[in-house]
Amino acid sequence: MEYKAPIESYSGVVREITIGKGEKALKIGGENILPFHFFDEGSLPNPPIFALEVWDMEPTDWPEWVLEPFNDVVSDPAKWARKCQELGANTVSLSLISTDPAEKDTPAREAAALTKKVAEAIGIPLIVYGSGDDKKDAEVLPQVAEVCDGMNLLIGPVLKENYEVVGKAILNHGHSAIAQTPLDINLLKELNVKLCKFFPADRIVIDPLSSALGYGIEYSFSLMERVKQIGVIVKDGMTQMPMIANLGGECWKTKQAKESKEQGLLWEGITALSFLLAGANILILRHPESLKLVKETIGGEIWQK
Amino acid sequence: MVIIGESIHVISKAVSTAIKERDAKPIQDLAKAQADSGADYIDLNVGFLRKDPEETMQWVVNTVQEVTDLPLSLDTMNPVAMEAGLKVCKKRPLLNSASGKTDSKEQMLPLAKKYNCDVVISVFTDKGMPSEAESKIESIMDTVAYANEVGIPNEDIWADPIILPVSTAGEGQKLAVSNIEFMKIIQDVLPGIKSTVGLSNVSNGVPVELRPILNRTYLMMLARHELYSVIVDVLDKELMSMCKGEMPNIVDLIYRTMDGEDIDLSSLSQKEIDYVKTTKVLTGETLYSDAWLES
Repeated sequence: MEYKAPIESYSGVVREITIGKGEKALKIGGENILPFHFFDEGSLPNPPIFALEVWDMEPTDWPEWVLEPFNDVVSDPAKWARKCQELGANTVSLSLISTDPAEKDTPAREAAALTKKVAEAIGIPLIVYGSGDDKKDAEVLPQVAEVCDGMNLLIGPVLKENYEVVGKAILNHGHSAIAQTPLDINLLKELNVKLCKFFPADRIVIDPLSSALGYGIEYSFSLMERVKQIGVIVKDGMTQMPMIANLGGECWKTKQAKESKEQGLLWEGITALSFLLAGANILILRHPESLKLVKETIGGEIWQK
Repeated sequence: MVIIGESIHVISKAVSTAIKERDAKPIQDLAKAQADSGADYIDLNVGFLRKDPEETMQWVVNTVQEVTDLPLSLDTMNPVAMEAGLKVCKKRPLLNSASGKTDSKEQMLPLAKKYNCDVVISVFTDKGMPSEAESKIESIMDTVAYANEVGIPNEDIWADPIILPVSTAGEGQKLAVSNIEFMKIIQDVLPGIKSTVGLSNVSNGVPVELRPILNRTYLMMLARHELYSVIVDVLDKELMSMCKGEMPNIVDLIYRTMDGEDIDLSSLSQKEIDYVKTTKVLTGETLYSDAWLES
């Protein structure tokens, strides 16, 4: 008897989300298949995109080989961002680390002005991450949203502690939101339910937190896999958002990445590949060489299917 | 359904203080309130009782027996305390509980035989807590076989599949489903056996105002598959009313949701909608979140 491979067909669709405005606009999500299941019925209209990370201050704790490609620009985030674009990033992720009260406690207004400058310096969309301090972010991110009114940045992290104030500012000024919860599918869904009471679901990206290879990657992997499965197979509207894997920082703080450049590149590359397989739609890396490595490993043809 | 009142539990500060200070009133008040609310048994969860196990257990048993004739469910892991309590029970008590763990099996089951009482046997074993329905059944069959050899018939055994919180990230909902499966099979593989569950644990960790609806819904789902008994908050009036069969419409909705019927929510009251949504969480159809009633 001839073997016939089973072909699955699912009715759930990941929401298609646009980030950036006008010529800079990029679409993510929109798939109704599981990651790389091109043999099933359905499609992935928008292949995953890659961001390189830029800081709003000169990093002091990055290994020298991560800073090396940017040595001439680290003091100027706008130039740094432009360089990321030249090096092949689809989008830039600006981390407002210096606003953290434990760092320089940079005022919200300064951070917002800088964000606008960076966004205007590049021809690709901008992702903005606050410091993660929920109280400070509740000041910084609304300012960023206001100053960059209408630019459709992707702004986060929107947390359960500050989703109302941050979410409303993002909404009112025409941006999209990154909803972040700590590695737990029940909490992730709860935040989306609460956010969606006033925020459109098709402007939300899920950040489930991305642990590095060897440092809990299994948890992030199974969680992303499950979010995608529940969205596509079970059709739960509260998990049908694209996902972002902010993994660069997690990889480059590992002992292994600090020991040698080669190890670091592999660490970041393999972590990124794993999250692609788990279903991430946006991946944030730090090193242009590991970005290249990931792209070469997958090849371009597969996305054409 | 045989209802066991759970309120006398050392986890409650009032109860543990009363036991420590030998203050009969708070304990007797709880016993009376539960008896008045329709409990069939009063559970006495006294903890392990490292200090004065015999004297303490007997004091608690006698204190409660002064105000109620209901049979007691003696709830301790300490076999010395257990035996002391069994000695002074006036009505045939329930030994709560034994398990497949070696210590428990070897110490508790002979006591159940010696004092000719009913005994709760849970699915725990030395290897831990089985999570799939099949492995729960396997584990309980082993322990029941052991109990039969000791001389305890199936009819005196109340099997407990162990309920865990449904809100546990990722796994909780699967575990909730596995207990329903367990209930479907248990009578076929161990004819004559009874069953019981510690219901409230299903909603452990859930915001406190949302716990009752989870408890009630899950109880009706288990009861559909012949759950014999339940350890429960008998002071929850709506739950007791459901147990007495006074809310057939809600129960019918729960059953239809379990059967996968696509129920038109627009024709339902808010309360009915909440029960449908809760059933969907407990069957695993909807992913759990603390906001399950809001989406």
